[in-house]
Amino acid sequence: MKLKETSGPVKGNLEKQNRKYSWKTLALLLVPLFIFVLSFALGRYPVSPGQLINVLAAQVLPLQHGWDPTIDTVVFQVRLPRIIAAMLVGAALSSAGAAYQGMFKNPLVSPDILGASAGAGLGAALAIYFSFNVLGIQLMAFFISLLAVFLTYTISIRIRHDPMMALVLSGIMVGSLFTAAISLIKFMADPYDKLPAITFWLMGSLAAITWQDISMIVLPILLGAIPLYLLRWRLNVMTMGEEEAQVLGLNTRRLKLVVILCCTLMTAASVSISGMIGWVGLVIPHLARMAVGPNFKVLLPACIMLGSSYLLLVDDLARLLASMEIPLGILTALIGVPFFMYLLLNSKRGWK
Amino acid sequence: MEIRNLCCGYGRRSIVKDISFSIDKGEVICLLGANGSGKTTLLKTILGLLKPQKGEIFLDNTNIKKWSCSQIARVIGYIPQAHEPPFPFQVRDVVLMGRTAHLAPFASPSKRDEEIAEKAMEILSITHLRERVYTEISGGERQLVLIARALTQEPQILIMDEPTSSLDFGNQVKVLSQVQHLAKMNMGVVMSCHFPEHAFLYSTKVMLLDKGEMLHFDIPEKAITEESLKTLYGVDLEIVSVNNQKNREVKVCIPSHSLIA
Repeated sequence: MKLKETSGPVKGNLEKQNRKYSWKTLALLLVPLFIFVLSFALGRYPVSPGQLINVLAAQVLPLQHGWDPTIDTVVFQVRLPRIIAAMLVGAALSSAGAAYQGMFKNPLVSPDILGASAGAGLGAALAIYFSFNVLGIQLMAFFISLLAVFLTYTISIRIRHDPMMALVLSGIMVGSLFTAAISLIKFMADPYDKLPAITFWLMGSLAAITWQDISMIVLPILLGAIPLYLLRWRLNVMTMGEEEAQVLGLNTRRLKLVVILCCTLMTAASVSISGMIGWVGLVIPHLARMAVGPNFKVLLPACIMLGSSYLLLVDDLARLLASMEIPLGILTALIGVPFFMYLLLNSKRGWK
Repeated sequence: MEIRNLCCGYGRRSIVKDISFSIDKGEVICLLGANGSGKTTLLKTILGLLKPQKGEIFLDNTNIKKWSCSQIARVIGYIPQAHEPPFPFQVRDVVLMGRTAHLAPFASPSKRDEEIAEKAMEILSITHLRERVYTEISGGERQLVLIARALTQEPQILIMDEPTSSLDFGNQVKVLSQVQHLAKMNMGVVMSCHFPEHAFLYSTKVMLLDKGEMLHFDIPEKAITEESLKTLYGVDLEIVSVNNQKNREVKVCIPSHSLIA
């Protein structure tokens, strides 16, 4: 049966809807830009917005160098890589969290539900235990994280149960197993040298970020983000439940696999340079859903904008709050949990 | 749609045995049977959620054995029992999901898709709900939204699994008369239901399923008799004819075990 074209008033309705989104879009674009500029101005060598524009413009325009060359170093070697890393990691974890929440039909799911973080932690702990260099630690974190999710997936398809439930269960099992292995390595590690290194890695930090780290994670993050972004409307259908999505014409098995692959690439790449950073991937999707609603077509872009802004802001706090840097993972939990509670208590529909 | 010698079930266990029937545009087939008689299993197999253990399903004389789920969804629309999803989608977004099967893998719905969804809401007179939140409307309204969603699939056949089971009396009537209206728009409807009276009122044919076997497949007046319902449900009952205000004969089932008997 074909449904005929609709008449005038309906089209008018659609346009009104689109206009409603436009001011929110503007706000969502301005927030990260504002925090980006602000982040240069915060810290021991504050770079004012005017200076920042000069320094950045000098890269492409033949401007006269009328400023202290240390500003160049601060901008390009210290602040910019760290800011970019914070934004990348924040955006990646938030969109992975949102995608998983939709796929598992559960608003309490975070990107590490399938064991990605525990895997990265074990990889890093092993690498530190065997005295690998920084690159070695990151590679180990990345690949063991992939391995953990692979294990989760292969176990889950052998469990004869509701496939989503099987996935969550095996994720919890693999996660716990890997966490236990991390404890074992910490127990065996040299308590003066390696144990603190492992512990600090697990607390998460972006303090030592270099351009090389960023060049390493950009590719896997984009490889995960682009397909997810293109498929985002189909995630809506997935939230209706697997069977229903299938009779609506969605190849759920394939979509599930693609989503897991994409989210794992993004999460593994993120935690491999930042260490364990919790709560971002859980809180931001909720915040974004409150701002723009649950439709992934707008939810995913909103998660990218808000996630990058949020982690950048928290990382700024990590630099500023005390004379010594506070590990980022501690702050994301310290700020994320009360913030989450605030959202739940003050929203009209709870997590809905 | 034609179904030939269909056997279906889970794994090796057969639940529905050797069923053949066909449905034309404009027909409403009502599936009656006790709990566990295989109504849902049969519907799931037709929808492609379960593989047939034996037998074939033909759509326009083509065997759909090798069809992908999006191919099937372009011809068969499914209306599940209304449920509450975990996220507060707007009604218009839920209805738009019906376009999934028509979209390219990476595409989102276009203006044209949105217009088709609007049209479906118009047909069901639920346009006023378009911006409401799906989780906050009533069960009856939700069922109508799901019917609109199935309509946006632009299917030839609609399948419903007990579409009225959780609805109050008024909403049952509203939903079923919409179903009848859709059949008149040249769609075939297969629905399972629990009330023989609904079959009398709204269906053109009735299939009685008893322990996975087809007991009768005929027009309601012939298929639904006191004996056949007793075999089906294991209770004694009377079928009484009454004339409504328009002087049309309407049949009602009254259980013999109740106090008034």
